[in-house]
Parts: sequence; C-alpha cells; structure tokens
Amino acid sequence: MLNYVWIALVAIGVIAAASSDIYDASTNRYRNGEWFEVRYDSISAEAGTVSFTKEYFDHFYDVNMGGSDTLVFPATLSSDSVRITLGAETPEIWTTIAKTAGSEKRLDAVIRRHTDGYLFVVFPITSLVRTKAVLDAVISYSSLAVTISLALIGVMAFWLGIMKLGEDSGLINIIARVMKPVMARIFPEIPPDHPAIGAMIMNIAANMLGLNNAATPLGLKAMEELEKLNPNKGTASNAMVTFLVINTGGLTIIPATAIAIRAALGSKDPTVILMTSFFGAGLATIAGIAAAKILQRLKPYRIEKVAKAAEAENK
Amino acid sequence: MIKEIFEAISVLAIPLIILGFVAFATKKKVPVYESFVTGAKGGFEVAVKIIPYLVAMLVAIGIFRASGAMDLLVKGLSPLAHLIGMPPQVLPMAILRPLSGSGSMGLMTDIMKRYGTDSFIGVLVSTMYGSSETTFYVLAVYFGAVNIYKTRHAVAAGLIADVVGMLGALLICKILFH
Repeated sequence: MLNYVWIALVAIGVIAAASSDIYDASTNRYRNGEWFEVRYDSISAEAGTVSFTKEYFDHFYDVNMGGSDTLVFPATLSSDSVRITLGAETPEIWTTIAKTAGSEKRLDAVIRRHTDGYLFVVFPITSLVRTKAVLDAVISYSSLAVTISLALIGVMAFWLGIMKLGEDSGLINIIARVMKPVMARIFPEIPPDHPAIGAMIMNIAANMLGLNNAATPLGLKAMEELEKLNPNKGTASNAMVTFLVINTGGLTIIPATAIAIRAALGSKDPTVILMTSFFGAGLATIAGIAAAKILQRLKPYRIEKVAKAAEAENK
Repeated sequence: MIKEIFEAISVLAIPLIILGFVAFATKKKVPVYESFVTGAKGGFEVAVKIIPYLVAMLVAIGIFRASGAMDLLVKGLSPLAHLIGMPPQVLPMAILRPLSGSGSMGLMTDIMKRYGTDSFIGVLVSTMYGSSETTFYVLAVYFGAVNIYKTRHAVAAGLIADVVGMLGALLICKILFH
C-alpha cells in the first residue's frame, strides 16, 4: 500500500503543479508584460515610496484583497527601473513574483513610462511557478532527509549505549518482566523475555513522557530486535506493524511541542490540551492496535502471502 | 500545580533514566564504559541506513505540498468536514498531520496566531496536533532502519489511527469547549 501512497503523492503533485501553471499561463495570472501604474510623492536613488490603491490592484490582477485603502511601499529609483521593498502587507501575487525572480524581500520593476508623480512599470516575467516550487522541493527535501539522518547519529549512538548498559546489567529484563501481562497480549509472537520487549517498553515510556529525542533511537533499537525475530527479511512482521502503529498514534502524557507553542503565543492556559490530546491520541492508539490486529488476518496482508510475493520478486 | 509537575517530569526524566541505568549497571559490576561504547557503535549504521527511505518519503511529501495539491484536497474534503461539524479552518491540519511534522507544527502556529490560542479553534488545532504523530515519517524511519519495504498493513492501520485521532480530538473539544 505504501507503493500506492507514494505514487499518488508524486503523481498528484506533479499533475497539480503542471495544471495550475497551465491555468495561470492561459489567464496570464501574473500579468506578464502589462503596465502597472504606481504613484509617488518623492523618489530617488536612495529613498522614497510608491503607492497604489487596493481597488486598482484588485482590478489589475482580477483578485479580491478587499478594502479600498492605499498601499505604500518603500522604493528606490535607478536609471530605468524601480526597486520596491516588500513588507508584511505585500499582496500574495507580488510575493510570488518576487520569489520567482529570486528575492522574497524586494521586487525590481522596469520603468516603461515616467510622468510627473506616476510610474508605469513592468514586473519580471513570471511563469511555471508551481513547477519551479516542485523542483525546489525535490532538492531541499532530499537534503533535509540526509540532515535529519545525520543529526540522528549522535543521539542514536548515545541511547544505544545506554540500552546496552541496561541489557548487560539485566535492567531491561526487569522492566520487561513488570510489563509482561500487557505486552504479552499486544505482542503474542514475541517471547516475553526477549530484549525486543524491553526496548519497546523503553520507547513507549519515552513517548509517554514526551521525550522525542530519546523515543526515536529507542524505537529503532526495538525495530532491530524485532527484525532478529523476523523470518521474512524485507517484509514487516505482525509485531513490527503493531509496534509502529503504537508509535504513529503518538500517545503521550506531555504533548511538549504543542504546549510550548501555545505558551509562546501567550495562551492563558497552555496545558489545557493535556487531557484532550491524551484522549485523542489514546483513541487513535487503541483504534490503531485494533486495526493492525484485524488487518493482519485479511487476505492481501497475510504474512505468508506477502512474504512469498517478496521472495518471488527477489528471484 | 499540574503544569509544574509535568514540566518537572519532562526535564528530569532523561537525567534520571541515565542515572538509573548507569547506577544499576555499576551495582551489577558491568564494565560500564566498555559496555556503553559497544552499544553506541551501532548508531552510525542505523542513521545511515534510513537515508534512502527518508529521501523517498520526504521528497514525495515535498512534491505534494509544493504543488498546491493540498489546497485541492482541502476543497474536495470540506463538504465531508462540514458534515461531521469540523471547522473548515482546521481541515488542513487533519490532512497535513500524518504527512509532515514541521509542516503541521507551522500550520498549528499559524492557525493559533490567527484565531487565538484559547479560542475553540486554537484549542482544537493544538489538540489535533497532540493527538497523532507524523505517521509517514515514523513509517519511513522505523522500517528504513531494518530495511523493510513490504510494509503490509502498516499504512492502512496507521491511517485508521490518524483518522480516529482527529475525530477523537474534535469530539472531546466539542464536548468540553464548545
């Protein structure tokens, strides 16, 4: 199924980008080559402002910003062009034009006619906006994947070291024994004294406490232990999927990120979501485990079938 | 009071875990330094192993987000959201949450800035954020670490959990804050 999700994300993305670019080109959304009229009181090579009314902008681009007040932007003049400095009030279309031309903060426009108090300007040709954004995304997200992975090396090594201490001293086993009744029910295929149980408990505990930096390394350690018990290389075992769903459910007593952002934005009661998100994530986790247990018996997902197909592919 | 306790737990948990593990190992006469280093050796390998899986997943999600297809999806799903009484402002959150961790964090911040942190929408959107994890990221990283590409029912079960989590968040917020 991951295959289909992957194809869908890529194909829908590319098609949506291309069709939106074709639509923009056919309606000339960015008014390439058309003269835009701005007013100025004083403008020089060092300082000045240009202005226009929202009404004029709406009419020119056939959009609806609402309101009829005047927008003023700082601007400087050179021999044949004007450089407009963009700010928080910048209309979306201008931001896009500026971004496509190379800078988010300023917009260079060529002056076609200069009369007393008025400039008629033409903005840089803007086309294939979405397609370019998709190309940028490919490059930046590939790098992001590597950045994330490399950043993981240190914490990963640290927690693997701590876990090894726990294994060698027998602490992980003790923890596993305490949780045995619950874990044996959720993971019936895993022997109760296997290190995988200890690692999974550590991961779930880290998640519950909102310790994201520790949870991922501990979770990956648990996956490695589960893989040791997995007879079908390359194919997920029942226990792996169940464990994964527990992780994607995101059950936590302390939703640290959400609370931190709420506090930063000046909430009167940042922790009000403790209970509600525990409820939501709790339901999600229960539903996920139940779904995993039911789906693993359905024909297309049965381990024998998938593993056999994988084997046939490898030959 | 509860807030302080939770903060104390999340700050103290890691030092306490580390201290507990080291102390117990010392008591059991485990060669602590040696044992730690032996375990830590695996860190590099695991991190590097997940790179191809993470590249595949993040690039697909990146293409999808950059293309503007999200907006189309939001438009397509808004009648459904209306039907179950979900405010249209938080619908993008429900869609983005399983796909992108940083993306949904930015979206949550944005929505709370616009509608207020303590408004119904503000509470709902942060509850939704806290009610799920970034399913596809977890999927890529966890399976990537052990070279698993036949994921069987993991995507289906994960998405069911996500949908239930979002609906659960909506339900509890409606009961308590609406």
